[in-house]
Amino acid sequence: MEQPFSLTSEVRDRALVIATSGYVNNVGGEAIAAEFTRHHAEGIRSVVINLGGSKVVNSVGMSFLIEIIERLQESGGKLYFTDLDPAVEKMLSIMGLFQFAGKASTVEGALHELAASGGVP
Amino acid sequence: MTGRGAEAPVSRAGEVELLENAFRALAGAGTARELAARLHAALSTWAGAAVRIARSSGSGWELLAGPPGPLPGDTDVPVSTAEGGMLRVVRAMPDGVRLCVVVDGGGEGGLTMLGLFVTVYESVFREILSRRHEKDLIFSLNHRVLQLNSLIDTGIEVSSLECRAPHHVALERAASLTNAARGVLRVMRGGRTAEEVAFPHGSPPAHREGRPGTISSTFEFGGERYEFTLLEKESRQGAAHFDGTDQLLLDALARQVMASLENRYLHRQALEKQKIEQDLAVAASIQQRILPKALPRVEGYDIAGINIPSKSVGGDYFDCIPLGGGRLALVIADVAGKGVPAALLVSSFHAYLSAFLEATVQPAALAARLNTVVSRTSTEDKFITAFFAMLDTASGTLESVSAGHNPVFLRTATGDLRELSEGGIPLGMIDMAYPYQSETLTLGKGDRLLLYTDGVTEASDEGDRLYDSASPLREYVAGHCPDRAETFIRDLIADVKRFTGAAPQNDDITALYLMRT
Repeated sequence: MEQPFSLTSEVRDRALVIATSGYVNNVGGEAIAAEFTRHHAEGIRSVVINLGGSKVVNSVGMSFLIEIIERLQESGGKLYFTDLDPAVEKMLSIMGLFQFAGKASTVEGALHELAASGGVP
Repeated sequence: MTGRGAEAPVSRAGEVELLENAFRALAGAGTARELAARLHAALSTWAGAAVRIARSSGSGWELLAGPPGPLPGDTDVPVSTAEGGMLRVVRAMPDGVRLCVVVDGGGEGGLTMLGLFVTVYESVFREILSRRHEKDLIFSLNHRVLQLNSLIDTGIEVSSLECRAPHHVALERAASLTNAARGVLRVMRGGRTAEEVAFPHGSPPAHREGRPGTISSTFEFGGERYEFTLLEKESRQGAAHFDGTDQLLLDALARQVMASLENRYLHRQALEKQKIEQDLAVAASIQQRILPKALPRVEGYDIAGINIPSKSVGGDYFDCIPLGGGRLALVIADVAGKGVPAALLVSSFHAYLSAFLEATVQPAALAARLNTVVSRTSTEDKFITAFFAMLDTASGTLESVSAGHNPVFLRTATGDLRELSEGGIPLGMIDMAYPYQSETLTLGKGDRLLLYTDGVTEASDEGDRLYDSASPLREYVAGHCPDRAETFIRDLIADVKRFTGAAPQNDDITALYLMRT
């Protein structure tokens, strides 16, 4: 059964890497958005969200992820999702998130993609 | 400081250019806050004075852009004033929120231009609202597709036998699809909680079913009551109420769990049935091995026998065993009941019989010994009917005992028919030294003996009529005397099959026929 939400974050190669665990709902989405906002204000424009520890995401949580994508679009940044559970990947896909965000198997893969595309300012 | 644009008249062309530039600047804004910031920049450029932009939805003004300064009191809209050295426009926006723009300095002439700037703002804001509404609509439609898709996927997942806990999966999906902050699943058995699961794990399993703000769905299966409860529906605007669609989703997911539990139950039953059938096949195989593959050839006699097992394992047994001194033992037996227990008892009977025949020559004594051991090794509802005969092949003397078995028919060469039924109770019925009685006769040339089990006499047709009722076996024995024992057996079985037709064979059919030639 899914655990309560928690997250960790670090800045690697000038990209914010957030790793979540547990249910990404209103509480989880808010926490992710707050972490993003803090780093975005400091100039971070490349973000990787590792959802490997989250098997369940609801639409409120997804709305926060969409908001992050929009803010990065406005500021010329890019978001990658990694380590997606198949069910979560399908949810994000149906909700249209991959039209504006990338996905990778691992955080390292996402960082490589960001570097290759010049996405890491 | 007084603003140039707000103070001094500007040409018509200049005003149009100003407004066009303002529209271009404002049109690029993606949010209301950004729009306010761009309006502030445009007005500051135009007025050259301090500009404040604020909004209010009824609980006081919130400054969106510009330095702190005096704002109007709570007032009706629209307002458009040039008083006290300030230009002030208050107007209701399309979302119902009031927008207030204050320019420090300026006269009546600037008020019209300020009003036009606010109109440009309103137009762009309406466009932003329209885009937001369109985005919300797409999000809502995608969410509906997601709910339907997830419902199908969950149905497939929980119906898989590899899914260890379908009710846990359904609880997670239900919470996720309805935006519940948490959920509780209780499984009640006999009025007590047999299992309680909280989603997310570790969240308080408070039971708030039936209270406002919760929805529940229950079903019963296998003596257990499953209660799914979802609590605290979320939205970006705060706490929300579950709606009819949420209840439908929860009910649908609960039904999927119920169907999954039913399928698992049926699957287990099928596996158990398969296992039993395999066991029965093994038992049937073992039983067939203890029956004689061929009967002995005995000088002066013609012997034939048959055993046709029914689909399920039965408990019929027969044998014809040459003993020393020209003696021949004839045995036929039928264990009460069918299945593995009956087959096991037949195996035991065969083992005891083989051991006792080494030392016991009197059929009555043999029956008594077998009765004792069968009584002690079988359950109360299991017993064996049997017929034993010891034939002195040289003289034709036959001593027999029936342990509660069907009467054996003796058809003499002269056409007389006699039943051999002297003996006693079935083996294993009473654990005591039962005094079995034997009878002795002499088989003459042309005499015939038929030993059989009730699978012959009780063979039934599709109308449940018994073979022996419609066509008494004793008459068949009396009237049918072919030259060979094998022919008699073949003809008897053909007659029984002709009678039963397409009706299934419910019991073993066993017969042993001996002719003195």
